[in-house]
Amino acid sequence: MKSTTRFMCLLLVAILVVLPLSACGEKKQTLNIYSWADNFDPQVLKDFEEQNNVKINYDNFANNEDLLAKIKAGGSGYDLIQPSDYMVATMVKENLLAPLNKQNIPNFVNLKDSLKNPPFDPDNKYSIAYMSGVTGIAYNKKYVKDPITSWADLWNPKYKGKVILLDDNREVIGMSLKKNGFSNSTKDEGQISTAVTDLKKLLPNVLAFDTDTIKQKLIQEEGWIAMLWSGDASFVAKDNADVAYVIPKEGGTIFADNYAIPKDAKNQAMAEKFINYMMDPKVSAKNYETIGYSDPNAKAMEFHSQKYREDKMINLSDEEMKRTEWLSDVGATLQSYDRYWTELKSGR
Amino acid sequence: MKKKSGLVVLPVFLWLSLFLVVPMLIVVGISFLRRDELGNLIYQFNWEAYATFFDKLYLGIYWDTIVLSVLTTLICLLLSYPLAYYIARSGPRMQTWGLALVTIPFWINFLIRTYAWVLLLRTQGIVNNLLLDLGWITEPMQMLYTKGAVLMGMVYTFIPFMVLPIYVAIEQMDKRLLEAASDLGASPSRAFWHITLPQTKSGITTGAILVYVSTTGMFVVTDILGGAKSSMISNIIQTQFLGARNWPFGAALSVIFVITSLVLIFLFNRAMTTRVDRVKEGRI
Repeated sequence: MKSTTRFMCLLLVAILVVLPLSACGEKKQTLNIYSWADNFDPQVLKDFEEQNNVKINYDNFANNEDLLAKIKAGGSGYDLIQPSDYMVATMVKENLLAPLNKQNIPNFVNLKDSLKNPPFDPDNKYSIAYMSGVTGIAYNKKYVKDPITSWADLWNPKYKGKVILLDDNREVIGMSLKKNGFSNSTKDEGQISTAVTDLKKLLPNVLAFDTDTIKQKLIQEEGWIAMLWSGDASFVAKDNADVAYVIPKEGGTIFADNYAIPKDAKNQAMAEKFINYMMDPKVSAKNYETIGYSDPNAKAMEFHSQKYREDKMINLSDEEMKRTEWLSDVGATLQSYDRYWTELKSGR
Repeated sequence: MKKKSGLVVLPVFLWLSLFLVVPMLIVVGISFLRRDELGNLIYQFNWEAYATFFDKLYLGIYWDTIVLSVLTTLICLLLSYPLAYYIARSGPRMQTWGLALVTIPFWINFLIRTYAWVLLLRTQGIVNNLLLDLGWITEPMQMLYTKGAVLMGMVYTFIPFMVLPIYVAIEQMDKRLLEAASDLGASPSRAFWHITLPQTKSGITTGAILVYVSTTGMFVVTDILGGAKSSMISNIIQTQFLGARNWPFGAALSVIFVITSLVLIFLFNRAMTTRVDRVKEGRI
């Protein structure tokens, strides 16, 4: 019996010792990327690996908060991460990001002017936009006959139980704030309260709050009308031709996932090389053609297919872009947003 | 001998204390802290997180969670008892098959099974299409994303937790007692109420606790089948640790949650053991 105990103890010790070691021992250079799922064209990654004799490890997170938790804990070993706009601001405040060395990223000049110097990172000191879009309204023309032009249309009693909202407090409360003529990132309790009271009147129309499978719900026609990100709308329209998309007249929220480098990155130079490679017009065209989001590269359009260039959900007009607003960090007011959100979702 | 067997459980003991007790203590510790604007912890003892809980909003959600969990447990019990009884009383072959059918769903990932319900219940789903084709309904019914769908999903998920303990209890029952009852002229229903049911109480207790505790901690079913429209306390805890970045409040909710569950389980256990049992076990 004693030997069993000893064996078990040894096994435990062995596990504890071997686990941390197993991460070491690789000679080839590596680039560890931590990003959203399906965020790159696999071939584009493969080409970079071959050109630079580097091995890319690509891990996924499901939301910004998971990313923050992991980077904050330290020792994650990631060289390149892709936080969304407001999360860049938070990570800068938390002192988690390394300033980018722009000399290593000459292709930065290719970035569309509208995406340069965003409010969450003026001067692009820590981040560069990778993928951006706008939250608008997607609707199925088969069921929704009236033209949709405004967020207020979601409140139409005709759409009882057929409206899908994103499962995201800032997006949904921000939408109602816009509808009521306020900023989507207000810190004014009175304005937030007005917006949420209005949203409570929308509840009978709400089929579900959903971010992960909202596309499927539209494709399968479970819901007729939904708030949706522009790139996702293009994806849905490919599977269900009846789905149309509009940026409401009150304007929508613009968002971007960005390149950023954690402070404790082991291979910052390689990460910058990768960013520069991705911002090459030809590579960019190839990449966004696959992932189906709008190409932030001002010089890439000529390398895109005609179909891509004519897709209005991917390429929003300047007029539409003018009506958009970034979500900005609301600081301590986030607690109010959370409480109102809980109120809304529990129907109290 | 006693000392040696103590050594054997040492690894498990270490494992549990390292990965269960210590994290629990950390959660209790965090619940007495405060957060700063960015969600970082401020190491300063205070009750703020607990004070937040006593708000009509959170108390209401807590009450809803308990009601849903109790309801799930009761429905599971009502459905499981006859099934367990039937399986336990069948021939050996039927028993093997019956138990296999109850456990097989466990071999399939829980998320996949839950999404399967989405395929069945949605407006363009199998059930609605079948009813439409049969002409029983003229418009698809809205079954998904309702409170009923959540309750059904919970019952579906946790039924095996109830069937198996009750099956074991019925299986282990001394069947001679029933023969004696019958010999002494008791009707089958009388024998059931006075012998079978009391004899299988332990199975019911175990099953009920398993189902209740699992239901209170479940947040995936409310999201997928309920359309995230009704919040359970576990949904709130999840958001506090992620989106809202308010760890102290999330920790406080967890602590309150564990304590209420323990109290409820204790009361339930007490109600299920009669005075006679306690005397027998030398507790009184």
